[in-house]
This record gives sequence, structure tokens and C-alpha cells, in this order.
Amino acid sequence: MDFQGIHDRLQAIQAPGLQGADEPREPDPENKKDKGRFGDPFVLVDAKLLPAFLQVCRDDERLNMDLVADFTATDPAKDDENLWINVQLLSIGQKHRLAIKCMIPKANAVMPTSVPVHRSCQWHEREAAEMYGITFEGHPDPRHILLPDDWVGFPMRKDYEFPEEYHGISCK
Amino acid sequence: MGFLEKQFQENVLTTKVDWLLNWCRLSSIWPMTFGLACCAIEMMAVGCAHHDIDRFGAGAFRASPRQADLMIVAGTVNFKMAERIKRLYDQMPSPKYVIAMGACATGGGPYYKFGYTVVKGVDRVVPVDVYVAGCPPRPEALLEGLMKLQEKIQNSSVIRRPARTA
Amino acid sequence: MTSTAQETHEPTITRSDEEVVLDSGEREFMFDVRTQDMEVNFGPQHPATHGVMRILMRADGEVCTGAQPHLGYLHRCAEKIGENVEWLQYLPYTDRYDYLAAMNNNLGYSMAVEKLMGVEIPRRALMIRTICAELNRIGSHLIAFGTYGLDLGAFTPFLYMFREREWMMALFEKICGARLTYSYIRIGGVFNDAPPGWLSEVERFCDTFEEKWKEYCDLLMVNHIFVKRTADVGVIPVDMALDFGLTGPMLRGSGVDFDLRKDMPYELYDEIWKDKAFEIPVGTGEKGTLGDCWDRVYVRVMEMMESIKIVRWCLAAIEPGPVIADIPKTLRVPPGEAYVGIENPRGELGHYVVSDGGKVGVRVRVRGPSFVNLAVLEAILPGALIADAIAIIGSTDIVVGETDR
Repeated sequence: MDFQGIHDRLQAIQAPGLQGADEPREPDPENKKDKGRFGDPFVLVDAKLLPAFLQVCRDDERLNMDLVADFTATDPAKDDENLWINVQLLSIGQKHRLAIKCMIPKANAVMPTSVPVHRSCQWHEREAAEMYGITFEGHPDPRHILLPDDWVGFPMRKDYEFPEEYHGISCK
Repeated sequence: MGFLEKQFQENVLTTKVDWLLNWCRLSSIWPMTFGLACCAIEMMAVGCAHHDIDRFGAGAFRASPRQADLMIVAGTVNFKMAERIKRLYDQMPSPKYVIAMGACATGGGPYYKFGYTVVKGVDRVVPVDVYVAGCPPRPEALLEGLMKLQEKIQNSSVIRRPARTA
Repeated sequence: MTSTAQETHEPTITRSDEEVVLDSGEREFMFDVRTQDMEVNFGPQHPATHGVMRILMRADGEVCTGAQPHLGYLHRCAEKIGENVEWLQYLPYTDRYDYLAAMNNNLGYSMAVEKLMGVEIPRRALMIRTICAELNRIGSHLIAFGTYGLDLGAFTPFLYMFREREWMMALFEKICGARLTYSYIRIGGVFNDAPPGWLSEVERFCDTFEEKWKEYCDLLMVNHIFVKRTADVGVIPVDMALDFGLTGPMLRGSGVDFDLRKDMPYELYDEIWKDKAFEIPVGTGEKGTLGDCWDRVYVRVMEMMESIKIVRWCLAAIEPGPVIADIPKTLRVPPGEAYVGIENPRGELGHYVVSDGGKVGVRVRVRGPSFVNLAVLEAILPGALIADAIAIIGSTDIVVGETDR
């Protein structure tokens, strides 16, 4: 199925949390500041309902998204209020993909965990949590995964300042 | 070598003993199997048939630090690993040598500027004898590093050599 | 081995002293036997972890009762660097997270940026890219297969496989000057054309490799000891594989016929597949249960031959022409976001790139297949013998540079 077909299907089954779709477009020739948007289309989903959305995508027989290919977060800009959650779904049976984006505010970066739906989210969520400071409610194992346990700060945020030293080893 | 050290004046006997001991040491350096990153693949290539580190007597890769003389730090060192490297180094019996293989182990390499967890050179954690440049170094470069180390060992002496470890 | 053991508190079995009378009338005295769960640190410096990874295993005697992988001993901040350097400057960093398959990483990253830019790649460049990616797949599988033999106590295949790998690296050295970290596949094509005589040498390599490959199969795949160590060990059922998001040989070893080159083709693979030039090997459960270690290794070994077929197809079809599209030296990538997944030797290598129209990326995300495939250890190690744990970890074929990035 192409993106349009998937989006129609999602609307038809009233997938929980579906907020809209964003498709690439050419730049507006009249507005010179507009550079357009390129790349992949994606659907916007409410972060609070992401696990339910993933479950619907997995269980619906025509969508059949049985694999979470990627689950990550993005900090779009230093002065942006939101973080993005980016999920890439893949269907082994139907051979199509779907990109999902959720917005969560930086000030209160809390969202429910998707581990009960897909266990592959477990490590991805741990990584997103330590790198961006997102709290996944109900995560079974919320420890650091790549960074040391006593690491301070969230390195992948745009306003992160590099440490001066760590355990007596200078970083300069 | 503890009890021999600084016991004798230099004379023809001790220099011959020196020569013999150094020759023994440099001809049977046992490296530790310690691959960190990309350079480890080149280290494996050095151990295999084409380049064959065994020609220099250093082919017996030991899995345990307690049996090894040489630690080849092959790859990027980060803070999480740095403590372990220190511990492994401490477990090695004296005399012990360290080769920093590749740009990352020498000074952070390509991760110097933005690598927030990368130690900028393994010499901030353990003393290094030979630095091998390259990212990753060719196997020949590592072999040259090994020969430089052998030169260094050849020129050391049980009489004049200061104690390495505190 | 730097394993440390520490006692944990609860004894699992306690038998009191008692006298037992056997059927034969003999009397035997049972001693107080207490077994305890033990926590064993496996790694980070251990030859069988293929790099620096630590697995905290709980062992009840010989049986592993729990496993917890600890990563991050090689975390090199690749994603943060992607947000700070220019688009083209990031290319060398892609070499270094999966250092066994650097060509495939170059390809994945280039394709993601090209998707945003909408560049048309010259056909000869596509051919050379495919040849390089497939040769690199062979090289990667050779290491995976060779070191797997090493883990299980077979030293000879490792030396044999490095012989072929040295030749393959010499081929890459001729085309781009580097043995391991190539940066050869660039955004818009490849960095330079193949030198004269290179393609015919690739053909000679293919001829030789086919013979040697049969040797490997005889040496290891049907070796009785090897089969005993790998068959029925570390079985991953299909639903578990999907739940953990496994891809690549890990998924195909469980019998799922899914390969991005066939099912969601990119670049030239559509044409090659329609020509029926290659097949997708899947696990069959021939020596044991479907989805065991043997099946995963089998898939990798068979894939090497399929890669040779793809290379041969490209060698037959390649024609002279330009090898790189006309792109400026300082790239300004149009705003937008794109995800491209390609079939790496280990599975789906995904690059998610976000641009705001500037010289530097907003986000360069790498979905490393090793990172995802490794998570399954938590589920399949419990219940296995400690000796089999080595076989299971080896069969996941991880590259730690990619799990930690």
C-alpha cells in the first residue's frame, strides 16, 4: 500500500490518536521564503495514544505493521518547544512502511511506553530517554543504556553543554 | 626483575645479561586480545596468515591480562571503558608495554571535537610506549609499531632502567 | 577472562543430610548439597563478545537463568556529530560504526541524503555501488563466519577466511585507497571510477571465491562437531523475532522470507531480482529446529554465494559512463525528513535524516541492526547452557561499533 492508502485505512478504522498527515510539497513559487518540504510523508499521532496506535497498526490485517524498524526522538531546534518522537513501522507481510511523528513538550517530556506492544521498543526507548530526557511511563527497565549510570545531562538535546571532566579524566 | 635492578655497576657481565634478557623479552611479546573498535579488525588481520605477527614472536594472543606483556589498545576509548582499561593494565604483570593503535587511542581521532564520551587519548589513563598513527593503521604500520617497541626493549637495561610502576 | 563471580543470597536447592537405602541394599549418605545462583560478568574484555560488550549472566550451575546485556563501552556519539558537521563531512563517520561493512553504511547514508535532494545517480555509479556493497557483504560474512568458528573452537577456518578477505580488501584498496574505512560511495555517486583492470580482477575473485566457498562449507557447515554445537541451540521462533524487530539473517534464519533487496528494492536490486539473478536463502531447520544458530549461520553462508551472483550480474551489465552526479562541494540539502532502510549484512540499516535547508543536518539517526538484534539475547539466553551462550552470542553477529554508535 502507498502512503495515501495507509492513511485512508487509518482513518477508516479510526486509529486512536491520529491527528493528521504531512506530505512533501514543492516550494511555493510566489513566497520566496518558502523552501517546500522534501522526503517522506508521515502521520502525526498524539504521543499519549502512541501505544494504542501501534497496537491497532499491528493488529489490523490490512495494515499488518508487525515490526517497529526504528523508534527515536529528535530535537528540532534550540528554541523549539517540542521534541519529536519518530517511529518507523515496517510490514513484513504487506511490504510497506509508515513513518509516525509525535510531538511532546520539552518542559514536560512524559509519554507512555510502547514496550507492551512491541518489545523491540525497549532499548530504543531507553536510548531516547537518556539522550533526550524523555520519561517513558511504565517502562520495565528504565536504566541508562549507552551512557554511564551517573552521567549528567541529556547529550542529544541541542542546548547540551559538553562536560569538563568525568571521574578525573579531563575532556578538553 | 626486581631483585636484579640497580644492584650492579655496569660491566661486561651485566651488559651481556642485559642483552640476553632483553632479547628474550622482545622475541616473545605476548599481546592481549583486546579489540575495541575498527582497529581491532586490522589487529586480527595482523594475526592472520597474510601479515603474520608470529614472525616477530608476538603471535600468542592471550585472552587474560595476567598472561600478557603487551596491551594493544585498538580503538576508541570512552569513559565507560577507561576504568576497565586501567584495571586490565593493573592486572598485567611487569614488565608491561602499551601500544596505542590508531588515531582514537592516540588522541581522540575524529571524535576529538564532538565526542562527549570519548577519552582524548588512552595516555590519559595508562602510560603508552608506542603510538601508531592511522585511522585505522595498516597492518604494516602496526608491525612497525611492534618493531619500535622491540627497539625500545632492546635498549632498556636491568641496571639503569627505572622501575616502571609505583 | 575477567569474569568475576559473586555469591547471591538465596540457595535454590537445599538437601539435608540423610541416609538413603538403595534398591541393592547398599546404604548411601547424602551430603548437604547447596547450589547457589551465581552472577557472572561476561566481558567487556572477552574474546567471544566480538568487541567490548558486557553481559551480566545469572547462572544456576551450568544453566543460564538470566542475561542482561550492558552496552555503551564504545559509545562514540556518532549521532551528535551528525548534528555538528556538514553533510559530506559526516560520511567518514558512517564508515566507523559498522566497520565490517563500511560500504553498506556509506550507501545507506548517501541514499538518505539523496532522497532529500532528489538527485539522479548515473547508471555506472549504481553498478559500482552494488558491486562494492555486495563484495563488502561477503567480507563481513566471512568475518562473522570465521570468528564464529573461532568461538566454537575451530581456528583453521578463521585463517582461511582472512585469506579471501585480504584479497577483497586489496580490491577495495585499489578502488579507493583504504582497506577498512572507505568513504568511497559519496552523495551523488561514487568518488572515482574503477581503475583499469579492476572489474576483471573482481571477476577473478568471484571465480576463486566460488571454489573456496565449497571448502568452507565442507570444513564447517557439515562438520559434526559444529553441527552438534549449533543445532537446536538458541532457537528464535518467528513471533519472537518479529516482536524484537529482528531483521537480516537473524529474521531469515527463523524462516521468514524477507529481504529488503527483494521486497522493498532500492537502486538496481529491482532489476536484478526481476532477472532472477539471485535468491534469498532462508533457514530450513535442516539440522535441528527452525531458527537455531545453525540456520542463522547457514543463511549467512548461502548469502555469500548470492552476493557473488549479484556481482556477476553487474559485471556483465556494466557500461562506461559518468560515476558521479553534478553536486556542489558544499551541500545544502533541501528541508525535509527522510528515512532509508537498506539491507546491511546484519539487517536493516536505517538512516533517518532531517534537514532545515542548511549545510549542517538537524538530525542524523542511525538505526543499527546490531543494536536491535542484540536485544533478543535477553530472551533466548535464559535456559541455555553457559557453553552454549558463546554459540548464541556469536550467531547474532553483532558489531559493537554499531550497537553503541
